[in-house]
Amino acid sequence: MISLIKPIIPELTLATGICLMVLVNALIQHPHKRTSQILAVMTLVVSIAAALPLLNQNTEIYFNGQFIIDPLAIGLKISSYVAVLLVILSTTINEKINQSEVLLIELFATLGISIICSAANLLTIYLGLETLALSLYGLVATNKNSIESTEAAMKFFILGAIASAIFLYGISLIYGIYGTLDIHLLSIMIISDTLELKIAVGFILCGIAFKFGAIPFHSWVPDTYQGAATPVALFLSTAPKIAAFALFYRLLIDAFSSISETWTIMVYALGILSLIIGNLIAISQTNFKRLLGYSAIGHIGFIFLGISIGTQEGLESSLFYVLIYVLMTMVAFMVIEILSSEHHEVKSLKDLKDLNSSHPWFSLIMLIAMCSMIGVPPFAGFYAKWSVLSSLIEANMVITAIIAILMTVIAAFYYLRVIWFIYFEKTDKENKKLESTILQKTVVSFTGIIILLIGLYPKPVLDFCRQIISSNLLLD
Amino acid sequence: MLSIIIFTPILVAIGVALMGDKREGPTYWLSLLSSIFVFALALFMGINFDPSQSQFQFVEQFNWINQFNIQYHLGIDGISYPLVLLTSLLTPIVIVTSRTSPKRKYHQYLASFLIMEGLMIGVFSALDGFLFYIFWESMLIPMFIIIGLWGGKDRVYATVKFFLYTFLGSVFMLIALIYLYFKTGGYSISDFHSVPLSMREQLLIFLAFLFAFAVKVPMWPVHTWLPDAHVEAPTGGSVILAAVLLKMGGYGFLRFSLPIAPDASAYLANFMIALSLIAIIYIGLVAISQTDMKKLIAYSSISHMGFVTLGIFVFYNLGIQSASPETMSLAITGSMIQMISHGLISAALFLCVGVIYDRLHTRLISDYQGVVNSMPKFATLMVFFALANAAIPGTSGFVGEFTVIMASFKINLWIALFAAITLIIGAVYSLWLIKRVIFGEPLNERISGMQEMTMIEALPLATLALLVLTLGLWPAPLVEIMSMSIENLVNHITFSKL
Repeated sequence: MISLIKPIIPELTLATGICLMVLVNALIQHPHKRTSQILAVMTLVVSIAAALPLLNQNTEIYFNGQFIIDPLAIGLKISSYVAVLLVILSTTINEKINQSEVLLIELFATLGISIICSAANLLTIYLGLETLALSLYGLVATNKNSIESTEAAMKFFILGAIASAIFLYGISLIYGIYGTLDIHLLSIMIISDTLELKIAVGFILCGIAFKFGAIPFHSWVPDTYQGAATPVALFLSTAPKIAAFALFYRLLIDAFSSISETWTIMVYALGILSLIIGNLIAISQTNFKRLLGYSAIGHIGFIFLGISIGTQEGLESSLFYVLIYVLMTMVAFMVIEILSSEHHEVKSLKDLKDLNSSHPWFSLIMLIAMCSMIGVPPFAGFYAKWSVLSSLIEANMVITAIIAILMTVIAAFYYLRVIWFIYFEKTDKENKKLESTILQKTVVSFTGIIILLIGLYPKPVLDFCRQIISSNLLLD
Repeated sequence: MLSIIIFTPILVAIGVALMGDKREGPTYWLSLLSSIFVFALALFMGINFDPSQSQFQFVEQFNWINQFNIQYHLGIDGISYPLVLLTSLLTPIVIVTSRTSPKRKYHQYLASFLIMEGLMIGVFSALDGFLFYIFWESMLIPMFIIIGLWGGKDRVYATVKFFLYTFLGSVFMLIALIYLYFKTGGYSISDFHSVPLSMREQLLIFLAFLFAFAVKVPMWPVHTWLPDAHVEAPTGGSVILAAVLLKMGGYGFLRFSLPIAPDASAYLANFMIALSLIAIIYIGLVAISQTDMKKLIAYSSISHMGFVTLGIFVFYNLGIQSASPETMSLAITGSMIQMISHGLISAALFLCVGVIYDRLHTRLISDYQGVVNSMPKFATLMVFFALANAAIPGTSGFVGEFTVIMASFKINLWIALFAAITLIIGAVYSLWLIKRVIFGEPLNERISGMQEMTMIEALPLATLALLVLTLGLWPAPLVEIMSMSIENLVNHITFSKL
């Protein structure tokens, strides 16, 4: 019995935690306001603990080819659990958004991510994808009293539904051609490139690009980042990106690696477009959350470029970039979250004016996050950019590397603008005390310092990425 | 030893930043003592430095990021040691002078300068290309903050321009470094030196490095960030910018461009010489017409740095083996002396401007006249530095420029002639500045009421004056420290890599 459920213990833990939260919220009349948070944190901690022993296990497929356990799956799961854990720890507890609902849905989304990471069948992938997507639509809409939030949720839902449909259509085409949805079988059966296959892969890629928010499937990103409540935007910009990478890997590398010429060019085009357009539009933004949305598109360009190389180094560097990006954007949103109070949400860059006088420590953390996003050493973001550039140059794509680096310089401008609002602008506003708890402050400080520490000693994270990518590729 | 020198200031900076702005006294003394400690260590290192060796000394080497063969590798030779010493000398000076004018967020000011010090020494002592790049780029952040937070009216514009210019330049260097990594399998600079490269590769690598270093030097026509940055930066920022940051460009040419791409350097030498001469003459003329004292000194800096790049490239005038090794050594020695000397003189001039700016809060030349009447001691020092800036014999400015011109004479008469014009132009803008600011009747009561320098203001200036004079009259110790390393470099760069 134990051996039967052993591979899905992390998922089972999550599911149990979710049920428990539902029950507690339904049965207890006036629960303590932290009950949900404690439950969620405990669930995640147990899940991480359950997933860790699986990390060294050999690749195996369970449940009639539906579910795969390999280092990549477990590695990504653990990363996303940790990310969600940090997000939940830093979420503000107040009356504005329904705490228990948000945390519950976030756990649901985590379950979806978990399923995507371990999917060995296209249908399982779709199952995970929809679990994740439906939770995210709900999350964005939680800020019920805000028109912006409702609008963002509506847009997100409609576009997301279309993207899911296109994705599903791609899958059905694959089924029509090969008569199977099993990823392992597909990778054996696909040898030559046909037009039908190209179309199917193109459709599937559209779905993934939508999840990542790559141009031209990006229009939901700035709106949802801006419209969603900050804790939700924080969630949205972190763990789902890890899921999107898993999606990429499971589909393009595991299933379609033999026709990589077809999809690398598509990924490359998406990457270059996102890099250029995302960064250019970000320059003129004044809303900080929207700016982060466009900056996300720019970063995704880098991630796509790494994947489009199609080599092991390229994948490693992309995975590394994803992890570092998640960390950086998390810090940026967490600082906003901390500075916002129940009545005043930090939205525009103007709200950050002269932050250095009132909260020097959080200014410094923001400085670290922004410099890291620019790619200035000694912060983690530099290594992310450098590793992608390295793999580009190794693959003889020097021109692409130069374009990427020029866009980095352009991007530097709007990140610098954030810093200059924080440090150089003066304001008459009086010094407000923060409403956030010590726990939140600790989590933000911890995450910010991690960016610096990875910058000083990136080896463990680089090793981690290399280990989980290379152990998977060796199988093929 | 080198790690201690690099990380002491950085760690102290963190401590100072955490102490907050309530405790000005302790933060000041802590920063000052730590920077003096670093200077003492650097001096101590100089005593143990063996000038007869051309190898790197005080080497520290550990594996840092194994899978990319990146090492934490530090060491100094005769080319980098004088620059390390210069950096460690100027930081205490900047900290001492910061005390005279009150600053908001004083603790952050001190912390920024201490971090800068550590990073700058790191740049000069890094022997691993990757480590070098990390130090080189990290430095942008504290400098960005220094200009932006404590600068003048248009500080935001100036600092963003500074950041973007230098960032744009150095990202190309990153690409070149990564390319060299795939060529050699590591980031070690000495491996870079010995790797054979085709002409095309050399040219591209040279240009990539040129972007980074030319912006830092700065060479004409990518110099435009410098006057803005200098004018808006606080006095301390200008001092560090002029005295140390600009030297990184010259150092980069000597450490990277020449040895890695000697054929490309020879091929493009005439282009580089032309740019240097334009900087020397044209920017010198531009300096004459300035109305803002800091801008004038900034342009004169660009003009003087033209001598550095001239000295580095002049011996390639006719091809890779056109000049005798003695001439090449002479030219490079001249460049090095010019770098050190300009570091001292421009720092002193910016400090002088800082002294009178603190009294009248204006940098316009037309707002001053007859300062000598109220501040005779200050006037003496400023006149001395202006003369040094004009390369009067007996000052270090003369030694550097004269050596470079002498080497040029041996190679090409015309280059030497054009370069020598600067002796006139430099005298014009320096002396005219002095005439307008220092001499004459006091312009108004505010000038005649100016207070003479305090001890804190006078001490750094006097120290620098002493050094300028010593170096001008007896440059032998400096030359001796550098000679073996330069000889080694010259031997390396006359061999074609093709």
